[in-house]
Amino acid sequence: MNKDHTLKLLRKMIGEDKDFRPGQWEAVETVAIKKQRALVVQRTGWGKSLVYFLATKLLREKGSGPTLLISPLLSLMRNQIEMAGRIGIRAFTINSANKTEWAGIEEALAKNECDIMLISPERLNNEHFLKEILPKISGRIGLFVVDEAHCISDWGHDFRPDYRRIIRILQMLPKGVPVLGTTATANDRVVKDVQTQLGPGLSVHRGPLTRESLRLQNIRLSNQCERLAWLAENLPKFKGSGIIYCLTVADTERVTGWLKKKGFSVEAYHAGNDGNMDRSALEQAFLSNETKILVATVALGMGFDKPDIDFVIHFQRPGSVVAYYQQVGRAGRAVEKSYGILLSGIEDDQIQNYFIESAFPSLQVFQDILRVLEQSEGLSLYEILAKVNTSRSMAEKALKLLEVDGAVGQTYDKKVLYFRTPNAWRPDIERINRVQDLRRSELMQMQDYVDHKGCLMQFLLSALDDPNPAPCGRCANCVGRGLPAQVDQKMVDEAECFLKSDQIIIQPRIRWPFGLFPDLKRNIPLEYQNDNGRSLCYYGDAGWGNLVRSGKYQDNHFCDELVNASVHLIRDIWQPDPFPTWVTAIPSTRHPNLVPDFARRLAASLQIPFYPVIHRIQEAPEQKMMQNSSMQSRNVINTIRIDQKISNGPVFLVDDIIDSGWTLTMAGYLLKKQGSGQVYPFTLAQATNRNANG
Amino acid sequence: MTLSLDSQALILLCSHLGLSAAPDYAPLTLKDWNPLAKKLFSISKRPSALLDQNKEELMDILDITEEEAERYENLLQRSGTVAIELERLKSLGIEVLTRADEDYPVRYKERLRESAPTILFYAGEKALLGQPGVAVVGSRHLDEAGQACAEFVGNACGLSGLVLYSGGAKGVDSISMQAALTSRGTAVGILADSLEKSIRNPDNREAISRGDLCLVTPYSPSAPFSVGTAMGRNKLIYTLADYAIVVASDAEKGGTWAGATEALKSKWLPVFVLDHPEMPKGNKMLIEKGGLKFPHPFPEHHLKLMTWLEEHSSATIADPCQLSLF
Repeated sequence: MNKDHTLKLLRKMIGEDKDFRPGQWEAVETVAIKKQRALVVQRTGWGKSLVYFLATKLLREKGSGPTLLISPLLSLMRNQIEMAGRIGIRAFTINSANKTEWAGIEEALAKNECDIMLISPERLNNEHFLKEILPKISGRIGLFVVDEAHCISDWGHDFRPDYRRIIRILQMLPKGVPVLGTTATANDRVVKDVQTQLGPGLSVHRGPLTRESLRLQNIRLSNQCERLAWLAENLPKFKGSGIIYCLTVADTERVTGWLKKKGFSVEAYHAGNDGNMDRSALEQAFLSNETKILVATVALGMGFDKPDIDFVIHFQRPGSVVAYYQQVGRAGRAVEKSYGILLSGIEDDQIQNYFIESAFPSLQVFQDILRVLEQSEGLSLYEILAKVNTSRSMAEKALKLLEVDGAVGQTYDKKVLYFRTPNAWRPDIERINRVQDLRRSELMQMQDYVDHKGCLMQFLLSALDDPNPAPCGRCANCVGRGLPAQVDQKMVDEAECFLKSDQIIIQPRIRWPFGLFPDLKRNIPLEYQNDNGRSLCYYGDAGWGNLVRSGKYQDNHFCDELVNASVHLIRDIWQPDPFPTWVTAIPSTRHPNLVPDFARRLAASLQIPFYPVIHRIQEAPEQKMMQNSSMQSRNVINTIRIDQKISNGPVFLVDDIIDSGWTLTMAGYLLKKQGSGQVYPFTLAQATNRNANG
Repeated sequence: MTLSLDSQALILLCSHLGLSAAPDYAPLTLKDWNPLAKKLFSISKRPSALLDQNKEELMDILDITEEEAERYENLLQRSGTVAIELERLKSLGIEVLTRADEDYPVRYKERLRESAPTILFYAGEKALLGQPGVAVVGSRHLDEAGQACAEFVGNACGLSGLVLYSGGAKGVDSISMQAALTSRGTAVGILADSLEKSIRNPDNREAISRGDLCLVTPYSPSAPFSVGTAMGRNKLIYTLADYAIVVASDAEKGGTWAGATEALKSKWLPVFVLDHPEMPKGNKMLIEKGGLKFPHPFPEHHLKLMTWLEEHSSATIADPCQLSLF
């Protein structure tokens, strides 16, 4: 009877001709009828959300309190919420972006008109949520749903410290409160670990992972120009829309630039540092096929559901089989034939290793943060950064881990304040090492996948512990043919030309870092700001990047090719107006002649004078050792000086590699204070690691 | 957290955790809980027997009205929200003791009987609660002699291994507490102010992590100071200690006066009152009401404090009563 009733509800939600998928009813029954704990491992698109909506409906009909759904990916649930509305389920979400709606949500809760409340894991530690909103749930929660439940295990493919908190909460729940964990991918080890954490009463509902329509192929093209050329040659062969995944923000921008130039309908999608990107508009344009191709980082993540994606191409190799499977699995949900092409290149391992190395803050950072917090009653993030030499993102990571460990607490007094708790803290080095070792072995497995000669789908399925991995008969290895792995040399040359002329803009800094000049306003006065500048390339990139690297670290000399390329960029592409009348450079005490020598040759080629007016007063630690804005600019301010009269014309301010941008900001400030005209920064390369992971 | 099921039941029924300021179903006050505890005791059941029971079952077990059962049911059902709140408190270093816990201070049960708070929130070393020691009470504003005395008693306790009990507030409390802690002793603060806020203070935090300090409160850990809470917790200071010293009191008004007269009347412990030529009028009146004189300056070596107090305790002390109720 229960089942018939539930089937009716399901049909109301997704269509009268629909039926339960194998496993769906059993999962609903476990949590809603038997009130037990269940873990559902089913591929994306299988209908996990149906399970918790139906369970919620059944529980609510019997008078249970609302469901609390914890998911790190709330923004992507709009469609599902709409679907749930068809059976009268009223869902609300509380997040920092919808503060204006909170009062209404609180009212709905108080009137018991909320059936399911969606929150991010962070919210479980939010004072306002705990003190104002949660108590309004008439005191009771009928069902706990934990999305991305693989994160409960350290053996899961992504590591979210907040899930520790979830585990502790679930362990404190009495037996009578049902719990439902859902995930798209969990291998045997993860499932077993989740079972240990959540208790032996947990029943596991696991289905097959294979995607019938997907045709996989791996192509090795080591250099970027070849891969860009490959894209230009092969993309026209696909009828529908698709996603191209890159590992870094810079790569998405570059691939997008190239493909636009070649006339494709394409947009970049990432969570990069400008924050201006309207991602939901990009998603909408892609969903409606207005944009044919999205070039994305992992920011286009789980939960994004477009059924008619024809192809997923990886410009670079992801770090694990799980990540790859989830990304490539976005193709072909409702199309007959779809393609998953993995390109891989020489830079992949370097980028992946950087990701692994920078996944956790160093022990020093943890200790420094605790030390400054111990001397206070509470500090803001900026106050911490002014005293601890680490990047903002590392500090945030460290604080998050310390919070979950109970060493640091958070309170709100006009701004978020972090404080030290009395709980003892010992670094869990073993855990960090375990996670990092796991990432390395995942990377090795992915390297094996690239070279695999047998069925590619079978490889992926066995790696994911699918119950029945069998050869797919569709992948390039099974059928013995696929897209060409060769590219036309003319197209490669064109791509190389593009890479070399790709303009990389240096945005001027407009604010001083926090705490540097307590007596000054934080905004840099407009008259002392730099103009937009340019970098010739990304450091270490295929284009000019390798020449910059060998010039800096091997030859102690930047070759004439770089001078010529810079002149070409400045004269033919950039064409700043008014055009500078002189050139100056930022010297380094370690290599006093390297940059001035380059700047002198550049000035000669541009037929304007070079004046070395900027001096170093003392040996500074290399700027890249300084890891946040406050530290970086303090480092600079102590070390550069201009003590002569200078030309009042506009000027090129030359450096080799721009890292934080503080050196150029400070030098530009000093130049303008001394009466120079506009300051145009120019660097040979831009360091990329700071925005690599977005 | 290893919370017993009995404690879980008490927290759900009697604490404000996970409830709004004006909840539909108010948690049980002592007046509500005590008869319920007796009822459970008489039918040989533990508080845990109430967990996961619905209205009908509760009516059946406890023989109560539907209205009452509905209130209990609603309070008991909020285990999800309470689990979330307890986890957060734990991560801040705050734990819970209930009357059903073995570690609950015996002195509260003995001396306060049914007035012993059902729930205590604490941060720090709970073993300190009820160890031999001296309570120091007095107003926030002190004269010179009062300050010197607060410091002296704190130091003497610290150096002779006695726990210094105080209200953890500004003035006499913090002077005596810091004196005890700096002389490498231990202290207990029974707070009327937010426990969450108090443990952010670097001195408190350090002493807590060393295991030298326990801050405890019967109120919600985030509840701010109010006169009502300050009055209510006064007896919780007296009833943990062996001796109390009133350093300075207003006459016939204020928390110190109210607490001291209550303590004198209840005869929980010998109550001393600081005695010196310029003492406040309140001190004088408390001595008239039976308070024992505590001289300033102290006539003997500071390590003799405990023996001195013992020798000068003449007042009859009420017999402790062992109450086995949760």
